[in-house]
Amino acid sequence: MKYLISSLFVIIIDLVFAQVSLNINAIPRKVDVLLDGEKIGTTPLTDIKIKPGSHSFELKKKGYASLRHSIDVNPAESLKMDYYLNPIYFIKFFTEERGLTFELNDNHKWSQNKIRLEIEAGVHSLRVYQDKKIIDEQNFIVDEPKSIEYIIKKKISD
Amino acid sequence: MKILVKYMHQPRIWFLSIILGFIGCSGLRWDKYPEVIYNDREPLISVTYDYGEIEIRIPLYYPRYRPKQIGFQVFANDDTTFPLLSVIQEPLDEVVLFLPHGVLDIESASNRIRIIPQDVDFWTRYIPFKGINSGRIDLPLTPVDFTPLLVEGIVTWAQNDSTLSNIDLQMGLSGPSGAILAKATTDVNGYYQMGIPGEFMKSGNIELVAGTNLVFQPIRLKLDYSSTKGLYRNISIGPPKTHLGPVYFTNKKNVHFRESPEIGSQTLFLLEKGEIFSVEKMTTGEYFGNIEITLSDGKIQKMDGWVLKEDLSLMEIGSIYNGDNKK
Repeated sequence: MKYLISSLFVIIIDLVFAQVSLNINAIPRKVDVLLDGEKIGTTPLTDIKIKPGSHSFELKKKGYASLRHSIDVNPAESLKMDYYLNPIYFIKFFTEERGLTFELNDNHKWSQNKIRLEIEAGVHSLRVYQDKKIIDEQNFIVDEPKSIEYIIKKKISD
Repeated sequence: MKILVKYMHQPRIWFLSIILGFIGCSGLRWDKYPEVIYNDREPLISVTYDYGEIEIRIPLYYPRYRPKQIGFQVFANDDTTFPLLSVIQEPLDEVVLFLPHGVLDIESASNRIRIIPQDVDFWTRYIPFKGINSGRIDLPLTPVDFTPLLVEGIVTWAQNDSTLSNIDLQMGLSGPSGAILAKATTDVNGYYQMGIPGEFMKSGNIELVAGTNLVFQPIRLKLDYSSTKGLYRNISIGPPKTHLGPVYFTNKKNVHFRESPEIGSQTLFLLEKGEIFSVEKMTTGEYFGNIEITLSDGKIQKMDGWVLKEDLSLMEIGSIYNGDNKK
């Protein structure tokens, strides 16, 4: 009984005093937020009480790359977290060349001459194969929905 | 165009147009890659903590009266030179101070608050405390009172200036009240220190009495705190060096100190028990010698006279203490 009372007391103390006021903002607005796997709302979120310690956050919104974030929350009065979610753009990729295989970021391959891709904004690495040999490697930046045409670079001597 | 319009009504042409359209559209068709391609870019996240302030509450009480203002200084990590905070406030019953997060030592009570009443008669205090990173600290109730009146010094044996240990001293009020306010005893080095509450600073009748546990009369000194709160008084006890002969002291009250040894001669004084009497010559039943009396202006005057032998005891350095204090 004594143990029960003391445990209860510790829990009450824990609940009342050891909580951090959490505020979450994100760009874009209205992003779903999951705290330790459970949805706690959509941004902006204010005065969410959490206990100090290790927590994981996941932010999701259609058209944006999901974001996972683990943090060891310090015992503070409040914690403000601002997230910027990376958009995903539709890209039309095409080429007039024949017999090429394309590989993006080491693990996404296709051989079609025309393909629609959903790509996270940022820098991506493209590798081009012909007859299983690498004939080209380059980076390209995705910063808006656009069409990308691939043309084999020809040597000046050609 | 004219040709197309001309043959449009023929079914063959319609069929051909549909086939050509299908082939054309399939040529324009775009496949869709089955999954989203991420680049695993580092997410842009900003994390900002607000640790809050440190709130220090100091309840104060004023036993006598309140100074006009009180200064507060907060120090951390055993420092007393560079305060983290320095403020002057009204003398409230509770003072609240705010510090930024994380400036105090949270491991030990090496932080201090200095309370400085803005009045020379008041005592400046340091309150040590253990810090926290943020939140509230409640310090104990602290008096804001007058500076105590201190006296310290060394007690020596007048004849050879050696220090005397175990000499009882007391501070009190002279006159009819005779109130004793503080007591002390000299240590092995003959050192003593005493203090009485500062409220007596305006009193003109504070006296120090040294040697209350000795066989002879204690020394009484007036203490004047009108210009300072701390006095240094060295006290010389016992017969002075000028006493050449053996030194005696009266062993009872109302001992007659007479002008001459003859029966019926005039009694100059009645001596208290413990008065020092320096003997110069003696008869069968009486000793001739001198005593020292302190005049009203503080000067010491020697006086010669006769005392009955039975009223005197020989003084030795090893037997100057009364009762339990005997060496």
